[in-house]
Amino acid sequence: MAISRREFIAGTAAAHLAIHGQNRPERPKLAAVVTTDNRMSHAQHIVDRFVDGYGWNSAHHHPPMDLVGLYVNQVGSDDLSRERAARHPSMKIYPTIAEALSLGGSKLAVDGVVIVGEHGHYPRNEKGQTKYPRYEFFQQVVKVFRDSGRSVPVFNDKHLSWNWDWAKEMYDTAQTMGFPFMAGSSLPVTWRTPSLEMPAGARVREAMCIGWGGVDSYDFHALETIQCMVERRPGGERGVKWVQAYRGENFWKAYKDGVWPQDLVEASLSRSHTLTPARPGFNDIFPSIDDMRRLVKDPVAYRYEHVDGVKCTMLLMNGLVKDFNFAASLEGWSEPFSTQMYLPMPDGRTTLANFFSPLVNGMEQMFLTGKPTYPVERTLLTTGLTAAGVESLYRKQARYDTPHLAIAYQATKDSTFWRT
Amino acid sequence: MPKRIAVITTVYRYLTHAQHEADRFMVGYPHKGRWHRPDMKIVSLYVDQKPEGDLSEARAREFEFRVYPSIGETLRCGGDKLAVDAVLIIGEHGQYPRNEKGQILYPRYEWFKQCVNVFEKDGRAVPVFNDKNLSYSFEKAKWMVDSSKRVGFPVLAGSSLPVTWRLPDIELPFDCEIEDALMVGVGESDAMDYHALEAMQCMVERRKGGETGVKAVQLIEGDAVWKAGDEGRWSKELLTAALSRSDTPLGLTVTDGRTQDLVHNGELPKLAKKPWAYFIEYRDGLRATLLMLDGALQDFNFAARVKGLGLQSTQFLLTPEPNVTYSACLMSKAEEMFATGRAPYPVERTLIVSGILESCLTSRVQGHKRLETPELTVGYRAPRESQHCRA
Repeated sequence: MAISRREFIAGTAAAHLAIHGQNRPERPKLAAVVTTDNRMSHAQHIVDRFVDGYGWNSAHHHPPMDLVGLYVNQVGSDDLSRERAARHPSMKIYPTIAEALSLGGSKLAVDGVVIVGEHGHYPRNEKGQTKYPRYEFFQQVVKVFRDSGRSVPVFNDKHLSWNWDWAKEMYDTAQTMGFPFMAGSSLPVTWRTPSLEMPAGARVREAMCIGWGGVDSYDFHALETIQCMVERRPGGERGVKWVQAYRGENFWKAYKDGVWPQDLVEASLSRSHTLTPARPGFNDIFPSIDDMRRLVKDPVAYRYEHVDGVKCTMLLMNGLVKDFNFAASLEGWSEPFSTQMYLPMPDGRTTLANFFSPLVNGMEQMFLTGKPTYPVERTLLTTGLTAAGVESLYRKQARYDTPHLAIAYQATKDSTFWRT
Repeated sequence: MPKRIAVITTVYRYLTHAQHEADRFMVGYPHKGRWHRPDMKIVSLYVDQKPEGDLSEARAREFEFRVYPSIGETLRCGGDKLAVDAVLIIGEHGQYPRNEKGQILYPRYEWFKQCVNVFEKDGRAVPVFNDKNLSYSFEKAKWMVDSSKRVGFPVLAGSSLPVTWRLPDIELPFDCEIEDALMVGVGESDAMDYHALEAMQCMVERRKGGETGVKAVQLIEGDAVWKAGDEGRWSKELLTAALSRSDTPLGLTVTDGRTQDLVHNGELPKLAKKPWAYFIEYRDGLRATLLMLDGALQDFNFAARVKGLGLQSTQFLLTPEPNVTYSACLMSKAEEMFATGRAPYPVERTLIVSGILESCLTSRVQGHKRLETPELTVGYRAPRESQHCRA
């Protein structure tokens, strides 16, 4: 599948007209459809920023829109949605997705929808994927659109679905019905230390992200970290040909055999603020490969090749770092280009997961303009890469061909990460 | 030949300034996307106190240098002539008495003076880096700066806040017109307030006309701080702007994760039970305020109203332990001076902030009265080029 730039622009233009055809209100009304809303859940971070505002650009910013309908799939004893609704009576909680979108009436009554299908208790499949019901939520949202004869912009937090076919169907549905659709992680939009964008016109040879976290969760964040950078290369994105996962002893063998470039490992780790000291008594010391083996019990790599030959490697190195660091070798550059996608993690050091602020701000822009702030094709591709990495692991780390990931798109011209 | 460095420090234990600063010259440090290994070698060390956990002997064995019992011997490496190319003075941590103003009497001045004695006796002087403020006493700090000029050697000093990453990565335009400035910080006095004051100074020193000095200061505390805010002595708009950069509001955010507009939701006085406000009146008319709001947040944020630009604000990012990568940013500046013989930014910044802090603490013990500070007529120009970590 390939989406030309013209088709992409035409698609968004059509969506734009459709939205404006509905007399876009001054203050859009929103509905949020979430799995669970407890402390430090994605829903809490996102819903709170709409109802309580957030620090943005030297002010406490209150989004110029109203979150009026909320659906929460799992309400536990630690639920916060009821407290939030009590404090913000304009936001009502409904027992079904259809009612949240129609505000208790019979037709779509909001101007935008936010789907947050992260956290909560959902089963895992044999491949280790958590079956968050993002596709199911999306289908119910779309049913309201169809029944009402009207569609509004939709944001989907994180990847589209754990199941590639479903993810593709979500994308195709949005395209066919012509509503603006945005998705993804906060990694592409958060602060960077240093605050650097991929140099304009840079031809990427190899790219890497060293991150942490689990398979089918933080691997997606690391893949989005890479993709939001490499998508800016001349010619744009054209998709990925194959993915191969490495884990355990295979990982260390690949490391020693130079399957991925060592200079990008050094560059990535040199951007980390959380490098586990390899020796007691030292606070910040570069690890040898033996140190890494000792510190990282369950290393995971996804190595993949883009259609145009660019190769990328995602390394999850739990025990070595707790941040997401990007490095790339660029044609004509003697040293790697690198930065960290900085997450002020509320792990005790901070109290607010403020990387959700640029994510919510990006959603606001779409709800105001009817145009996605950045292309959903990025997330479609990283959704497919995440599933392909999981698939390769499941197939005993065999190389997995990905003809279905020939996804082409153009990055936005302007930077969309947090820099103001 | 690698440059030879002498280190003079109070204590050398894990996560002391000495450990994470001097170690950078032994094991390298992350810099511009590489693990940079300075072409320099620590050859001698003086450590004033060796409590349990001392690492100085272990470092000396592993990295092949010697620990000497005096500063003179450290600088001369046991010989009779100055035998190093640079000196790193790290007088932070360790057991030292406090004076009536609550200042810890770290012996930075005394050590610096001994270095100057060696330089003068041996007829050669080398660059000196001094961690944090020059001295708890402005008079002593002034002597340090004056001596370096008289003898003719470069000095770099100060905190890592001016050189760490900023969120967002802003710099105030050189020669801008600053209408009002405010810093919010946390932590104990005579440690963390110094960092906050220097962070604010590195921003306001870029204003039109450059730094010309401080006319008067005042430190107030308790409910008087909130009253001063109500009366407009410090700007709630600027505090809102500064707090818009904070990742660490406390109280309800800790309880249930929510975001907060702390300036307007009434929580601030409940959280910051012992607020301090440091008022600084500059000679050119600029007024700046530092609010230390322990209990309300945990990070360091700056805001200013700049003519033609409106509100500008940023967080000075203190990256987490144990890496404290901001200290690598600071050591890269020390290394730069050791290599080039030129301080990348003027020591007068550290001099004036050393004096501002001392005068504020004097104001406090003198009943929080406004103090005229004619001695703080310290003028300098900031470097035009940004010095913080952005590459």
